Amino acid sequence: MSTTTSLEKTRPAASAAAGGGGSWQRWQQKAAPYLFLSPFLILFCVFGIYPIFKSITLSLYATSGPKDIAPVGLGNYAYLLRDPDFHRAVANTAVYAFWSIFLQLPLALGLAILLTQKWVAGKNIFRWAIFSPNLMGQVFVGVLFARIFMPQYGLLNRFLEWVTNGRIPADTKWLNNPDLVMPALVITSLWLYVGFNMIYFLAALQGVDKELYEAAHVDGANALQQFQHVTLPGIKPVTVFVLITATIGSFQLFELPFLLLGGGGPDNRGLTIVMYLYQNGFNSGDLGFAAAVGWTLALGILAISLLQMRMSGGFKAAGD
Amino acid sequence: MQRFPYGGAAFALFLLTLISGALLLAQPIPKKTATLTFWTFAKPHYEAYLQAIPAFEKAHPGVKVDIQLVSGEAVARRLRAAFWADLDVPDLVETEISTAGTFFRGSLENIGFTDLTDRIRAEGWDEKMVAARFAPYTTRGRIFGLPHDVHPVMLAYRRDLYEKYGINAAELDTWDKFVAAARKVSIPGKRYMLELPDADAGRLEILLFQRDGGYFDADGNCIFDNEVAVQTMLFYVPLVAGKGRIGNALGWGQETNRALEDGFILTMFCPDWRSKTFENEVGKVKGKMALMPMPAVTPGGRRTSTWGGTMIGITKACKNQDLAWEFAKHLYTNNQDLAERFSGTYIIPPVKAAWDLPAFKKPVPFYSNIPVGTAYAELAPQTPPQYGSPFIELAKQKLGQAVVACVARYNQQGERDFEAFVRRTLTEKADEVRRVMARTPEFKSADAPKEAVAAR
Repeated sequence: MSTTTSLEKTRPAASAAAGGGGSWQRWQQKAAPYLFLSPFLILFCVFGIYPIFKSITLSLYATSGPKDIAPVGLGNYAYLLRDPDFHRAVANTAVYAFWSIFLQLPLALGLAILLTQKWVAGKNIFRWAIFSPNLMGQVFVGVLFARIFMPQYGLLNRFLEWVTNGRIPADTKWLNNPDLVMPALVITSLWLYVGFNMIYFLAALQGVDKELYEAAHVDGANALQQFQHVTLPGIKPVTVFVLITATIGSFQLFELPFLLLGGGGPDNRGLTIVMYLYQNGFNSGDLGFAAAVGWTLALGILAISLLQMRMSGGFKAAGD
Repeated sequence: MQRFPYGGAAFALFLLTLISGALLLAQPIPKKTATLTFWTFAKPHYEAYLQAIPAFEKAHPGVKVDIQLVSGEAVARRLRAAFWADLDVPDLVETEISTAGTFFRGSLENIGFTDLTDRIRAEGWDEKMVAARFAPYTTRGRIFGLPHDVHPVMLAYRRDLYEKYGINAAELDTWDKFVAAARKVSIPGKRYMLELPDADAGRLEILLFQRDGGYFDADGNCIFDNEVAVQTMLFYVPLVAGKGRIGNALGWGQETNRALEDGFILTMFCPDWRSKTFENEVGKVKGKMALMPMPAVTPGGRRTSTWGGTMIGITKACKNQDLAWEFAKHLYTNNQDLAERFSGTYIIPPVKAAWDLPAFKKPVPFYSNIPVGTAYAELAPQTPPQYGSPFIELAKQKLGQAVVACVARYNQQGERDFEAFVRRTLTEKADEVRRVMARTPEFKSADAPKEAVAAR
C-alpha cells in the first residue's frame, strides 16, 4: 500500500534527524510531555493537593484566623460530635436531603414521563417552562421567594388564607416559624430543581429501546408493568447518577437558606452543615474547626454515595 | 535549527503562553492615586461623607480621600479575610456594631485595627463623647474604634390611632402601664400594639440593655443567663405568646412599613437612625406619627435603650496613621458636618457638644412636629452600654434560640413552671457560648464550665 510505503520511507529520515540532534534532542523528547503537563500539575498541586493536605493538618488546630493557632489533636472532631448545633445542622440537612430525594426525584421523573407521552400537546413549552427556574440565579430565587413567603402581604399567605377561608392566617411566618422553615426551603428547592432533574430523566427515557415496550405490550404487560420492568431498568444508570448528585447537592446546601433566612433561621432550623462550616470558619474565624467540619462532611458524603451506589447496583453497572 | 518535536502548532501554543505570561508580568501595578482609602457600608453615611471630604482635602493640600460604599457583608467577611492574609486593606473602615467584635478575636497583636486607646485618652475624646459608646469597640481594655453614634431608642407610634383607641402616650411611663393599655387594643391576628418578634432576640436585647443586662459584661464574660436576663425573658415572652400577646413582627423593610401604614402594628422600637428610615419610607403616615420615650421598667427608671451602632477604625496597614486619625476626627467630631449629617440621618453623634446645634432642635412634621434631635439627645446620656465580644454573633443566635424555646413552651403550657424553664434554657444556651469561648485559645472565659474548658 502506498501509505505503508510512505511511512516506512519517513521513519529512517526521522531517526536520522533524531540521531543528528544528539542528547539535547533525546532530552527534549523525554521532557516535553512533562513540560506540557506542568502548568496543570503545578496549579493542581498548589490549589488542589496542597490545600487538601493543609486542611487535614489545620483540622488538628484551634485557630483564631490563621495567625493564632494552638494544636488540639482530634479535639475539634470530638467537640464537633458533641456540639448541639452540629447535630441540628446534620438533622436539617438529612431532612432536606430526604425530601429532595423522595419528593423531588419522583416528581421530576413523573413530569419527564408525562412529557414523553404522545397525547401531551405543547411539550416544548412545558419543558422550557419547567426547566426555566434553573436558569435563574439562586440570589434571584431567594429574593423572589422571600416576597412570596412574606407574612401578611405575601402571595402564598394571601392564597392560603383565601383557600382555607382564614384557617391559615395571613400572618403565617414561613421564614420565622421554626416549624415552617424547612417546608419553605423544600418548596423553594422543588421549584428550582425539579425541572433540572426532569431533563436528565427525559434524556434517559428517550434512550429506552421502543421495541422493548412493543414486546412487553405483545406479552400482555400493562402500563404499570411496562414502567416497572422496562422503563425503570432502562433509566437505571441515569437514576443512580441523579440520586447521587441530588444527595451530594442536598448535603452541600448553602445558598438558599443563606438568602432566605440570612443564616440558620429561627432556632437554627434552617442551619445546614455547610452553613455551620461557614459560620465557624468565616464568621468566627475558627478555620481549624471549619476544616474538621469540612472533612467530616466530605467523608459523610463519600460514605452515603458509596452506600447508594452499592444498594442501587451502581458498581455492577460500572463494572459491566 | 532543530524542529520542535511536537509540531508547529504545539510550538506556537508554547510561544503564545510565554509571550502572554511575559506581557502580564510586564504590566505596571496601578498606582494608588488616593492618599487615604475609606470603606463605609451605610449609604446615608456615604452620602454625608461625600459632602464632608472636600473640606478635609482643602485643609490638607495634596491629600485625596477615596471613599467606597461596600456592603456590610463584604466589610465583615472580605476585610476579615484580608486581615488574615495580610492583603491590601483600606486605611479606614466603618463597621457595624454586631460584627465589630468579631474583628477582635485572637491576640491583640494580630487584630487588624490600630489600637486607638492612647490617642482617644490623650485628646480627651473618652470624656467628650458618650463613654458607653466605646464599650462595643473595646477588647481587653483597649479601644479599636471611634463611635459614630449613640443610637438611643424611643417608641415611634401611630398618634392618630392611639388617639382613636383612647391611649394617652404621655401616661405610658412604665412597661406595666404600657402593657395594660396594649392588652385593651391588641387583637391577635388583626392588630398589635408593639413590634415584637417571637423567633429572635432582636427586640428582647433592647429590653435587656434597658435593664443593664446584655450578652457580655465589660470583662467579656457571657452573661445572658443572669437574673436580669431571666426577668427580661419572663417579661418578654407573654407579650409575644399565648392569648394575651400584644406584639408581632412581620420581618424587615416593606412588610414592616406596610404594617405601620395599615395600623396592623401601632408602635415600633425606634432608635434615632430608624426615625429617618420611617420618614423616608412610610410617607403615607406623615404627621400621623409621634415619638415617645420607652416606658421605664420601674417608675423613674431609664426611659431608653440602644439599638445598633457603627465605629470607624484605622487599619494597621495604613501608612499614614496620623492623617487617618485626623480624617476620622474630621468625620466624627466636626460640628458643622455633624449638624448636616443629623439633618440627613437623624443620627445623634456621640459628641455631646453637637447636641445644642440648631439643627437638632428643628421640629419634624413627620413626627407631629416633635423636635426629633432634642427628643433623642435628652435620652442620649442614659444610653446603656452594650459590650462587644468576638462571640457576639453566636450569643445573639443562642439568645434567639432561647426565645424560640421559651415561646413554644409558653404557648403549650402557659405559666406552669415557666420561670424554671426560662432559667434552665438561658443557662443551657449561655453555656453553649461559653463552651465555644473556652475552646478558643486566647479567650478562655473565667466562668466557662469546667467540662467545657477540658473539651479539647
